[in-house]
Amino acid sequence: MTSEPYTTHYVRFDESRCTLCAACLKVCPTKAIRIRDRSSLRFVDQCIGCGACIQACTAGAITAATCKPENIGQDHVAIALVSPVLYAQFPNAMPKDVLLGLRHMGFHHAIDMSIFLEMFQFAAVEFIRRNRISQVAPWPLISPVCPAVVRLIAFQFPSLLPHVLPVLRPVALMAREVKERLIPGYEAQGRQVVLYYINPCPTMGESTIDRTAAPRQKPVVSIGINDLYPELKHRVDKILSEVIPFSETHLEFETCATGNAALVAMSGGEIASMKIEKSLAVPGLKETIRYLQKIEMGLFEDVEYFEFRTCREGCLGGVLNAVDKYVAKSNVHRMLNVYGLGRRIPRNTILRLYEKGSFQTDRSVSTLTTLFGNRKPALSLEQMQQIEQIHDRTTGWCCGACGAPDCLTFAEDVVRGQTELDDCTWISNSKTHKGH
Amino acid sequence: MASLRKSFFIKARDFAHAGEASIHIQNLLKSMHLDSALVRRIAICCYEGEMNAVIHGGDANIHVDIETDHLTLEIADDGPGIEDIARAMQPGYSTASEEAREMGFGAGMGLPNMKNNSDDIRIECAPGQGTRVHMMFLYEAERGIA
Amino acid sequence: MGRPHSTAYVCFDEDRCTGCGACLRICPTRAIRIRQQKSIRLIDQCIGCGACIRTCPAGAVSAAGRKPKDVGGDHVAIALVSPVLYAQFPGVLPGAVLQGLRQLGFHHTVDMSFFLEMFQYAAEEFIRRNRRSQAAPWPLISPACPVVVRLIAFQFPSLLPHILPVLRPVALMAREVRERIIPEYQGTGQEVVLYYINPCPTKSESGPDRGRKRSTHREVAIGINDIYPTLRRQVDKILATDNMPFTRSRFEFETCSTGDAALGSMSGGEIANMNIDKTLAVHGLRETIAYLNKIEMGLLKEMEYIEFRTCQEACLGGVLAVLDKYIAKRHVQKMISVYGLGRRLQRDTILRQYDRGRFQLDKSPDVLGQLFGPHKPALSLQQAERIENTLKLLKGRDCGACGAPDCSSFAEDVVRGEADLNDCIWVQVLNLGRRPPD
Repeated sequence: MTSEPYTTHYVRFDESRCTLCAACLKVCPTKAIRIRDRSSLRFVDQCIGCGACIQACTAGAITAATCKPENIGQDHVAIALVSPVLYAQFPNAMPKDVLLGLRHMGFHHAIDMSIFLEMFQFAAVEFIRRNRISQVAPWPLISPVCPAVVRLIAFQFPSLLPHVLPVLRPVALMAREVKERLIPGYEAQGRQVVLYYINPCPTMGESTIDRTAAPRQKPVVSIGINDLYPELKHRVDKILSEVIPFSETHLEFETCATGNAALVAMSGGEIASMKIEKSLAVPGLKETIRYLQKIEMGLFEDVEYFEFRTCREGCLGGVLNAVDKYVAKSNVHRMLNVYGLGRRIPRNTILRLYEKGSFQTDRSVSTLTTLFGNRKPALSLEQMQQIEQIHDRTTGWCCGACGAPDCLTFAEDVVRGQTELDDCTWISNSKTHKGH
Repeated sequence: MASLRKSFFIKARDFAHAGEASIHIQNLLKSMHLDSALVRRIAICCYEGEMNAVIHGGDANIHVDIETDHLTLEIADDGPGIEDIARAMQPGYSTASEEAREMGFGAGMGLPNMKNNSDDIRIECAPGQGTRVHMMFLYEAERGIA
Repeated sequence: MGRPHSTAYVCFDEDRCTGCGACLRICPTRAIRIRQQKSIRLIDQCIGCGACIRTCPAGAVSAAGRKPKDVGGDHVAIALVSPVLYAQFPGVLPGAVLQGLRQLGFHHTVDMSFFLEMFQYAAEEFIRRNRRSQAAPWPLISPACPVVVRLIAFQFPSLLPHILPVLRPVALMAREVRERIIPEYQGTGQEVVLYYINPCPTKSESGPDRGRKRSTHREVAIGINDIYPTLRRQVDKILATDNMPFTRSRFEFETCSTGDAALGSMSGGEIANMNIDKTLAVHGLRETIAYLNKIEMGLLKEMEYIEFRTCQEACLGGVLAVLDKYIAKRHVQKMISVYGLGRRLQRDTILRQYDRGRFQLDKSPDVLGQLFGPHKPALSLQQAERIENTLKLLKGRDCGACGAPDCSSFAEDVVRGEADLNDCIWVQVLNLGRRPPD
């Protein structure tokens, strides 16, 4: 068996719970998972952190590689980077209540994403506006907001990497602001700072934690909303029973949530408040793949911007949410009714920063390819023929007994030398049981 | 001489699956690391033909023959046939409205598109006997496949 | 091998079938079986969700029903139009589409907007009154999607009383046509045919009455995909002329479409415009089943009304729709921004009709249960035990090789005498023999 260097930083397997039902194999968009020796799960290819396997597993054997929230802020300065999806988990509370609840849990700062979302939307619209004239980037442009989509493109549609909008995504802008404004002050006091990303999905994972990095690098931790929810709900309920809770904060972007940010938690919300001619919002893994395949073929060149999300209903459908996505969606509607829509940063301010290159993404096409690209070598015609022949010998039932997601992938695995022909129960038994 | 032949059945008016055969072929060619611009040309020709069959034609069959230095693509349907091939080949002629052809629907005859993207194209049809579109794509030596 | 209750909304082409089993696994009522890798049949209620059509990679499954030929040639053709049809024509307003239908041969084209309004008013009124009377249990469930109703009757019969007992928009539309248009042709000797132009295979609204011959007319269901090619040619012709596509019609409801109706084709569109407090919109087959399970468990009682659609993105995602659902959705959003939103019927008018019982659903929960409920006899305790024992023998992989969707269905088939234990390849291969489960 060849060595398999792929491990995922985004999900963890608990083999003691695994029933070998092979559901996770079948939903993985990069066909990265195999069952080896009828007993253990292995990654043989890039994981994009979409969380489909977590959703598919009925035995609870797969979890996100997130951390449990323990000892928050006790021996360090805890800063929470909050996704607006978190607010949608609370039917009766407004964002300010949730942010205050986080503070009561021990976070010294709870950063809201709205202002950074606005900055991103301005910068994105500006890039598109200029691209209409310069035609530098190919149409359609693709939103960089969902990291799973970017990794999926790098892995499966590398020719589309130039389409990904080269603007820093809202979370990156938020993290950068925190690192530039909040952290230096604490550093000067000699205090350790930990950034907690509160995520609705596993796309951050453990790879970004680098505790052995140089002292300038701050530890970064990913917490799933589901792990935070029980205690946070308890705190929020207490807050709701008191008089109007105003929070004491240091910087403006720690509290002011907007309707626009709530909107972005839903599929279509990102483009809804951007002034772009032709844009489309596509949620869901299968749909995203289907559209990327078509864009690769050359279709949709008349569309300017695509908003892809690998989760159904956008981030509200992330697998680490506490509340079902439709209930969360109605919570978002409620928030929108109260907040309305509207921006707070004037365009000129952003333009000045844009000209200075402040929103330019720091990851080039080649970096993304190196990090997330498909490393499998090309198949020759002979190999394709062999795959056909082997595939014809399988039953086509995709029963998963061989440990591969489907019969065609099994055939490819055999030809690539990653598995044996006899791993297919049907083929190995048809040799010994004539007439079946 | 290694070669690979694949066939796909396309059902008339089955919009739910329309485009799947073309995507399948595109994925095949990608796994062989064929040059991406070439893959795109082949895929779009196939897609135009596939959509034509779904919208206009009767049931159809797509056959692709992959050789080491060239690829042939044949789309044969048992639909009503093309009335005036010369006219259909003129750029701009289409039985689909502008907006329908945009937005990725790729509807309409698209024969001019197929002609522009293939290295050779031949169309045979007789009224009431269906249409057969035969296209060839050549690979340059260094961009070919093993 | 036909069973009397296999009301099929889909049909199978055995020549195309490769026996892959994809349709078996996706069927929500586990109604499909494959025997000897060749013969496909339904052994239980088909709810017409179209999931099998969508999932079949070989094109072997299609919607049942005739393809439209020679519309209006020797009969009076009346088209009952779903607003989803308009969404298939980007940049084209509904008037042109309806005109195109007339050019195809339809004598009347009926738009759904008025009937949607009537339904929404009646639904609001029922819910308003129910807050006081508490006659129906919360949450109430929208009756608009017939697949949902049949699914509830089949799998969640205890929830039948939750279904809002108001006639759905299509039913209201059909009734109006039967009461106003069809009588005009009586005595002329002409046959009248009602064509439902549908985005999904749920057949006509009078599903269970199909067997009954209506003396005044015939009812036929056609898919949007079947009419699209010819319709589009007509629409293009209309767009190419310089005249505005104004159409002459006998009745107001034959032409005037609204933004509200367009909205109704999207998920959440039905409730968006209704004056109800706590509502939810759920779309997709798995989602729908998950929520129905929760409601059956007793959850979601604080909700008043839930709009379910078994297709993703609701009717725009119907398997017989032509345009991709997201492109169609965008077109619908544009239509709404042109038309705006707003009603045309007065609430008082509807209220008067409401009090006369004009919106009362004509099928009680019991009738729905009889029509669409499972017809398999209940399992005895002994049988249930035997199923468990059989299940232990099987591999539990749900591979589909036996021709059943999963191991538990197969075990049940064996115990009911409809399948042989040796149909399971694992049983054969692992030589588990013909030992009957006890």
